[in-house]
Order: sequence, then C-alpha cells, then structure tokens
Amino acid sequence: MLDLSSSLQDYLEAILELSEVNSTVRVTDLAKKLNIAKASVSQSISKLVDLNLVQQESYGPIELTSTGREQALKVRRRHRMLRKFLIEILGVKPEIAEKDACKMEHSISPETMDKLVDFLAASEQLPQEEPKMTTQLSQLKKGQTGTVTKIEATGTLRRRISELGVNVGTKITVLGVAPMGDPMEFSVQDYRLSLRKDEASLIRVEVDQ
Amino acid sequence: MKDSKELVVALAGNPNCGKTSVFNNLTGSRQHVGNWPGVTVERKEGTHIHGDVALKIIDLPGTYSLGAYSEDEAVARDYLLFGQPDVIVNIVDSTNLARNLYLTTQLLETGIPVVIALNMCDELASKGIKINVPLLSQLLGVPVVQTVASRGRGMEELVEKTIAAAGNPPAKSINYGPDLEPDLEAFVEELKELKTHLNPRFLALKLLEDTEFVKDIPLEESEKEKLLAIQEKNLERMRKKWGEGVETLLAERRYGYIAGMVKEAVQEESSLLARLSVSDKIDRIVTSRLFGIPFFLLVVWGIFQFTFTLGDPLVELLEGFFESFAEAAGIWLQNIGASELVSSFIGDGIIGGIGSILVFIPHIGLLFLAISILEDSGYMARAAYIMDRFMHMLGLHGKSFLPLLVGFGCNVPGIMATRTLENKNDRLITILINPLMSCGGRLPIYILFTSALFTANQGLVIFSLYLLGIVLAILMGMLFKKFLFKGDSAPFVMELPPYRLPTFKNTLLTMWDRVGAFIKRAGTVIFAASILIWFLANLPVGVEYASQQSLLGRIGSLLAPILKPAGFGNWQAASALIFGVVAKEVVVSTLGVIHGVGEEGLVGVIAKTWTPLAAYSFMVMNLLYIPCVATIGAIRRETNSWKWTLFAIGYSLALGWGVAALIYQVGSLLGFA
Repeated sequence: MLDLSSSLQDYLEAILELSEVNSTVRVTDLAKKLNIAKASVSQSISKLVDLNLVQQESYGPIELTSTGREQALKVRRRHRMLRKFLIEILGVKPEIAEKDACKMEHSISPETMDKLVDFLAASEQLPQEEPKMTTQLSQLKKGQTGTVTKIEATGTLRRRISELGVNVGTKITVLGVAPMGDPMEFSVQDYRLSLRKDEASLIRVEVDQ
Repeated sequence: MKDSKELVVALAGNPNCGKTSVFNNLTGSRQHVGNWPGVTVERKEGTHIHGDVALKIIDLPGTYSLGAYSEDEAVARDYLLFGQPDVIVNIVDSTNLARNLYLTTQLLETGIPVVIALNMCDELASKGIKINVPLLSQLLGVPVVQTVASRGRGMEELVEKTIAAAGNPPAKSINYGPDLEPDLEAFVEELKELKTHLNPRFLALKLLEDTEFVKDIPLEESEKEKLLAIQEKNLERMRKKWGEGVETLLAERRYGYIAGMVKEAVQEESSLLARLSVSDKIDRIVTSRLFGIPFFLLVVWGIFQFTFTLGDPLVELLEGFFESFAEAAGIWLQNIGASELVSSFIGDGIIGGIGSILVFIPHIGLLFLAISILEDSGYMARAAYIMDRFMHMLGLHGKSFLPLLVGFGCNVPGIMATRTLENKNDRLITILINPLMSCGGRLPIYILFTSALFTANQGLVIFSLYLLGIVLAILMGMLFKKFLFKGDSAPFVMELPPYRLPTFKNTLLTMWDRVGAFIKRAGTVIFAASILIWFLANLPVGVEYASQQSLLGRIGSLLAPILKPAGFGNWQAASALIFGVVAKEVVVSTLGVIHGVGEEGLVGVIAKTWTPLAAYSFMVMNLLYIPCVATIGAIRRETNSWKWTLFAIGYSLALGWGVAALIYQVGSLLGFA
C-alpha cells in the first residue's frame, strides 16, 4: 500500500462510497460527508490529484483514477474488516466499533495494520468480503455479462428502459458494437436490445466473473 | 334463438409479435386502412364473421407498454383506455415471454376482458422451451390460446375464446407486494370519488408511473383539478417513502411478478447461451465490424436496383399508354365534334392528371415491397443500428437514413418510408429535408443544361448539384432541429427482433395498403394541381397553350422580375418553373413548347440564349424550389398537416431563390457572367 496519510485514505474511501450512490462526486458532497470545510477538502483533493489517485477538471466532479480506485477499495476493505472484527469477534457495540476502527486506522503503523488485516483475512471466523465492483454498462466488453445495480437515467428514458425489462438485478450481456462504434447490442430478458453508449453509460452494472 | 351481435375487439401486442399476421388471418380482404383522428398513425380495421357474431377488429400499433413514448404507442394506449373495446386480444410472442407479458400485466389492469394469443408456438420446440399453457392461463386469470399466426393455426379457437370472454373482466390483478399495496389502496380509495369510467386501481397505477398522463384524460375541468390534487398528494407521500424511483418501482415489481410466473409455467431445457439462435449467428456477420457496412450498402444497392431497374420500364410503359390514350381520346373527341378546348381538357388535363399519379405506382409499389420484406425479416432494425452513429452526428436517428437515400430515386417513396421512424420530430425533419435529395425527375433538367453549356465537365457539374443538395439537407436538418424541434433527440432504445422469413401474404398486403393510401391521399392533391395548371395554361379562352398571353405566361411575366437577381428573369423560365411543380422533368418539355422547338432543338436554343452562370443558377433553383405536386401530396399525407406542407413549400422556395441568387450574384462579381 502507498504511504498515504490516514486522512487522505479517508478521502479515498469517501469518494468511493459517494461514487457508488451518485453519478458524480463534488467537493460539496465530500465536505458534507466528512464534515470538513470545503476549502480544506479542495486542498486535500489537489494533493490526491498530484498523487495521481484522483482526477478533477477545474472545479468539476471528482473521479478516482484506476490506482485511486484500487487504493480506495483496499482502505475500505481494511476498515470493514476491523469493524467486523470488533463487532463479531470481540462483541463491541456497532457505534463504538465504527469509531474505534477509525481511530485504529489512524494510529497504528501501516506495517502492523497490514499484518493485522492479513491475519484477520486468513482467520476462518471472519468470512472474506470482497467489495462489489460496479461499472458503466457501456464499459463492458463484447461477451461480458453484468447485473444491473443502479439506473442513473431519469424521466422518460428511465421508464422506457425499465419497462423494457432493464431493472436493478437484471442480467445483461453485451453482444456487440455497431460497425461505427455506436450503438451497442445487448441480450436482456431473452431478447436483443440496442442502446447508444450515452444511454448505456447511465446503467451501472456489477460485472459477472 | 341466438341473437346476432357485434363485438369490438382490439388487437394489442409488442412490435414484431406477429400481430399483423393475426389481423390478416382474421379479416382477410375485409379490411381497410385509414388514419387515427388527428395523427399520422395508420388505423387498420376489419371484420370477422363467426356464426352470427360480427367481430369488428381494430389493429392497434405495436407497443411495449401503455407508457405512450411515441405517437404510435399513444394511439394504442388511448384507444385501450378511452375507446372501450369489448375484448382485448393480446398477442404474445411465446419465444420472448417475459418482455411480452409486461404489456399483458398492464392490460389486465384496465379491467377490460383479455384473451391471450400465445403466438409463434412452432418456434418453441427448436429453442427447447416448454410452456404449460393451462397453468399460465390460471396464473394470469385469462384464457390463453396457442397460435401460429403465420400459418393460420389456432385462429378458430382464438375467435371462440374471444367471443366467450366478452363481459368477463380478468379475474386477477397483480399484487405489488405487502409493502406497496397499502399505499396503492389508499390512492385507489381517493380516486373512487371521481366520475370516470376508468378502473380506479388502473388509474392509480398509471398516475403513479406517468405523471404526465393526467393531461390526456378526457375529464371535466373541476374533476381534473380534483384528480391533480389527489395525484400530487399521493405522489408526495409515496416519494417520501420510496424515493424518486417510485415511477419505476411498478415496472420492477411487474417484472418480478412475471419472473415468478415464467419460472412456474415455463420449462427451459437448455441454457440461455445454448439457445444462441440462428438469428445471433446471422448477426455475427451482418452487423459485424468488418461486414456490417459492406452488407448494408449491398442491401441499399439491391433496393435501388429492384425499385428502379424493374420500375423504370413499367413507368415508361404507363407513360406511353397514357400518352397514346390521351391522344386517342383527343382524336375521338374531335371526331364527335367537341371543341379543341374540351378535348385538350380531357386529354391533357384529366387523363394527363390521372397519368401523373399512376406513373408513380410502379416505383412506390416495388419500393414498399422491398421495405416490407426488410421490415418483416428484421433487417430494417439492423440498418438503423448500423447507420445510427452517422445519423446521430446530424442530430437524426439511424432510421432516417433509408428514407433520405430513397429520396435520390424519388422523394415520394422517400417521404413515405419515414413511417418507420417512431419519433415525431425526427420524422418531420426527415420529411422536410427529403426534397433536397436530388430525385430522378430533376436529372433531365441537368442533362439539358449541361449538354448545352457545360459539355467539357458535364459529370462534375451534375455531381456538384447532388452534393449541394446533400450539404443543404444536412444544414437545414440541423437548423430545424435547433429552432423548430428543440429538446433532446430521441434516445436510441430499439429492439433488434430475431430474423424471420417474411410471409408472402403479409408482405403483399402491407405493400397494397401503402400503395392504396398513396393513391387515395396523395392522388387527390396531384390530380387537383394538374387540373389547375392546365387551366392556367389555357385561359383566357382562345390563347395558345402555355403562351405568354395565357394566364400561366402572364404569371410568368409577373414573376420574372423577382427571378432577375438569380439570373433568369424571363417569362419563359418563370413559366417553366411553374410547370415544374407538376413534375420537375416537365420543365424540359415546357421550355420546348415555349421556344417552339422539340427537345432535340432545345439544346441549341439554350446554348444561344443562356449564359453558363445563369444556367447553373437555374439548375440550383430546380434542385431546391417547391417540391413537385406528388411530393407535396406525400408530405401532406404523411404529416397530416397543411401547416407543415406549406412550410415545406415555403422554405424550399426561399432556399432555392436565395441560393440561386447568391450563386448568380457572387458569380457575376467574380466575372463569370
């Protein structure tokens, strides 16, 4: 793991979690979630941009880079693991466990933390939990199948897609892309549907392995 | 004693479910095509007699839901809700059960008796699917009949069950779950106070998923306000509980309900991937990166060859026939002592007028034959899929490509081919810019003028005119999109139906419907315009046909000064342009008549009396100004609006004059005059 300050790690995790709920993540959302002033959020974001973990067009939405995403997932996994350990094995109350997990992350040396997480991961009492990876439907390759986790389209388009059988939980497979690169062809509910990439990007899916 | 009765039966189903086959089977030749009031959507109606019951069958446009996303779907929805049919026959593609049953779940909620025709049952075995029909019928609470409409199987039973179903509303309705039902019930209770024939539960569900729906319900003002208040209150309450996604919650629950039903009643013997059908295998080549575009071009070339190579000789034959018929009639009329005016009226006016409609029939018939084969086979959707990227750059839909391309042959079938476009705005734009595609009728004009004045680079000059048309079509399309049809372009959410072999009967019936509609609707406009031009050329009584003294000549003289900036400000050119409205190729023969020479001598006259610049500007004018009457008739028929028809005439006239004048003026400045 990169040698990141623990507060920057918190940022990464927060961005990851917001990006799974909203289509875009803004400084305002982050400030609200972390309960930190917007100015200091901006400062930290520029640090993350320098580390190439986050991308941000001037004052635009914040996006994780692929390394950033990887890091964020690791941070979250560690956080959840600690929390789970405190609650399920030691029997600590959830509210206290949440706080203490944070404190532990911030005070223990990275080396001890990594070893602890490895130990917990190997322990049979604590089942492995792999975080869900979601991506835009338009990012799927030919032949890949995904399960819909979220539809970000709104209004008529959302209703249309929904009525044609693309809903949360539906399996959808990419059959191909038109010769000029757009639109795409999918298999869903046992029939063939075609959507432009713009529209497919509004559907989030979890890629089936 | 049984009493004879009439039942109104509405056919509803998804696109490509075989609905048209069912309709054709039930009604045979006892059908007619009209328009739904106020819109351009076709209304097909027919009758089926069974014993002493007459079934009046209404074929509704194909729709995936009662969500009314396109004009077609709105027609289907409005008829089902407000038209009060006795029975709905819901045709369901049994090979694509889940999505087809979505509409069914909505139909069951209307409270109108429903009978389900489980169509294309013959394809189930090869796909390894078994459907337990009695169980499905029990689960849905309505009769289910197995049919293979393309071969006429199961029709008898369908009719019997339909007659029996009249007066028996569906026994079941969908349960939306213990968490959602109480909220729905509360909504329904409040709606029961309203004075409407609509089923309150159905109304509640519709209002919940489509907030715009209220506008379309025919209700008194006071009742409507009450309804709006109830809707507002309930929506807010439910949004608090369910979040913004409440509109799609119902769809999710319906699909959940369907999934449960399918699990119980359907046995799939093979996995999804093992059922990778013939259709997918065809698509691997036909829509592939490598062969997709070449194959598409091949198909387009095939359509052109089919339509014009086969059609042109037929058109010539018809033209020849009408010419000799008009001539013979003229001689016969003179022999029985009719005046020259009367015989010219009958010969040139009436017979010529009818002829100018009929000469279009071979092209239109063949083109529509080709198009209905493509539609029925499933390739049409692929064509749109392949061309969408390109058309989207121009702000249009993939389906706009073919109508524009066909326009190069003749704008009339091009405009009629826009029917495949669901989005009203896309369709109007495609219709409005279609006349800018230089059709075959304009070619004789280009040939005349280029052989007189541009002998060195005839091909290049003609090509530049075609190109100018395309460029202007793109520009005008973008302008219309920006200023007349604001708003987002229609999303490209399109089914790619499985490939199927078109049936002879359906293909021919579809073609015949469309040709018939053309003759009836466009024909009247063409005929009237031909007669009008004849009068202008022959009045006042005694003038020589189309001379400067005729009304036509006088109007030409009047218009000439306006045309001066474009370089052809003489009455001959103006009169020829007026005649060109009948059909663009008539410009050539008119110039011949006016100059008193045959078409052969005309090249010489033109070479002496026109400058190359004026000739080019005149050709541009011919490319762009007012579409011919047949095209005007088609625009009127397809837009169902005189406003848009007049707009098409007006803008093309302005564009033609503007561009011609620009070319002439700039050319003069540069010293080309």
